[in-house]
Amino acid sequence: MTKMKRRTFVGLAAATTTTLSMPSIAFGALPRVVVIGGGAGGATAAKYIAKDSKGAIDVTLVEASKRYYTCFFSNLYLGDFRAYGSIGHNYYGLAVNHGVNMVHEWALSVNNAAKKVNLGSGESISYDKLVISPGIDLKFESVNGYSAEAQSKMPHAWKSGTQVQLLKNQVKGMKKGGTFVMVPPPNPYRCPPGPYERVSMIAHQFKKSNPTAKIVILDPKNKFSKQGLFMEGWQKHYPGMIEWISAETHGGIKKINAATMEFETDLDTFKADAASVVPAQRAGRIAMNAGVNNGDWCPIVPASMQAQADENIYVLGDASIAKSMPKSGFSANSQAKVAANHIRGSLTGSKVFTPRFANTCWSLVATNDGIKVGANYKATDEKIDKTSGFISKTGEDSNLRKATYEESIGWYSGITSDMFS
Amino acid sequence: MKYHFILLSIVVCFFLINKSYADQKQLVGADADYGEHLFGECVTCHNSTGLGQGIPKITGMKTSQFITKILAYKTKEKENAVMQMVAERLGEEEINSLALYLSKLK
Repeated sequence: MTKMKRRTFVGLAAATTTTLSMPSIAFGALPRVVVIGGGAGGATAAKYIAKDSKGAIDVTLVEASKRYYTCFFSNLYLGDFRAYGSIGHNYYGLAVNHGVNMVHEWALSVNNAAKKVNLGSGESISYDKLVISPGIDLKFESVNGYSAEAQSKMPHAWKSGTQVQLLKNQVKGMKKGGTFVMVPPPNPYRCPPGPYERVSMIAHQFKKSNPTAKIVILDPKNKFSKQGLFMEGWQKHYPGMIEWISAETHGGIKKINAATMEFETDLDTFKADAASVVPAQRAGRIAMNAGVNNGDWCPIVPASMQAQADENIYVLGDASIAKSMPKSGFSANSQAKVAANHIRGSLTGSKVFTPRFANTCWSLVATNDGIKVGANYKATDEKIDKTSGFISKTGEDSNLRKATYEESIGWYSGITSDMFS
Repeated sequence: MKYHFILLSIVVCFFLINKSYADQKQLVGADADYGEHLFGECVTCHNSTGLGQGIPKITGMKTSQFITKILAYKTKEKENAVMQMVAERLGEEEINSLALYLSKLK
């Protein structure tokens, strides 16, 4: 470097530092992104920011668990279509392949003004951009009589993990000819077809080992995702076993009693031998702490996934109001790529492309009977708007249903590789 | 005999280079960065490693083969609801950018 060139370089560097004027981006330091939550949104965002920036951004992922069990495909574990170990994943790939700094702790609070995340250990991490992808918290009190204490008697099993293992154990141990009661959540909630796929997988278990068992669904809604497809499948594979009772028919669940396993409604009091209760939901607590929520969920800027309340925070997945996208792992993965591209652009000046969103949800009704629904979306000023979509049709050929199921296995392999490898 | 082999090699190399050039020339508006960004949409389902069970692998696919398949989904000649939906919103620039990026992947 000549004397003249060195002087020019120093001058430019000084100008750049002044322009950025961000305390954490001192000369020579890398811009820092902190991601809270290592699921479909957070793991994907951390990976893509680290991978695409090629070392130009320091990425830290804060996730309490060292092994992450996906919610998606946990129903297939209930139906014996997957081993539990096959839905568990670690963060080795993110740390080793992409240089993501893994911090296995709880994020306790966010100091928006100081741009810091406070951890359970008492340490704090500074950020230039923060991604919050905490998934859901459960509103136990939304079902009268349900509580954190009652969850072992009537597992919600809506956040994967040991709750799903417990539920499967209770399903398999239910008395012969007994009644299983399923209480799905009210809208909006994580994985719209999930409760009905769960019922399908439990019915599949009963068909094998407890064929006179009954399943009663006490729904707080009057319609549900893929309803025609599920109803057709239940009639075909499990005739007479499943009864779906809509809110307008049972008049609302007045009270449940976990000790006696009773569900009181206007229509009747239902006695269960085993049950799953999935209460209403809201964004994970850290989103509330960061003040990026409006009520239960977090409004975002559709084109970037930035929180409307704080331009330095991005909210992904279930916690966000990403209407018209459903709350799904696929949606979170899609949103994460949009956010990653936007964050990289704002921190390094790289190209920011027009956001593209997509989602597909596969569900399994019975052996080799897969169904799916999907859509493309684009960002408008007001929302993430659906532009086109499809849904499986009733009466489809069994070969197509088998191919759809096999496709879902391919998707699971693809998305988990995309998130964790 | 030796000269014939060298001559044949030169002709084959010229043909291959020319064909590769022709392939690249067809990729109007292609941008490898854009292709890499768009590829993020593909790998939600198409695993870049493993056996490709249920969903075929697309890494290693020839440029011409990729374009032919995408266009067949776009015109709905080829069946698959997800791929028809994906292809539907891919314009020439997107398809060519993806093809260019795929051609650079090992």
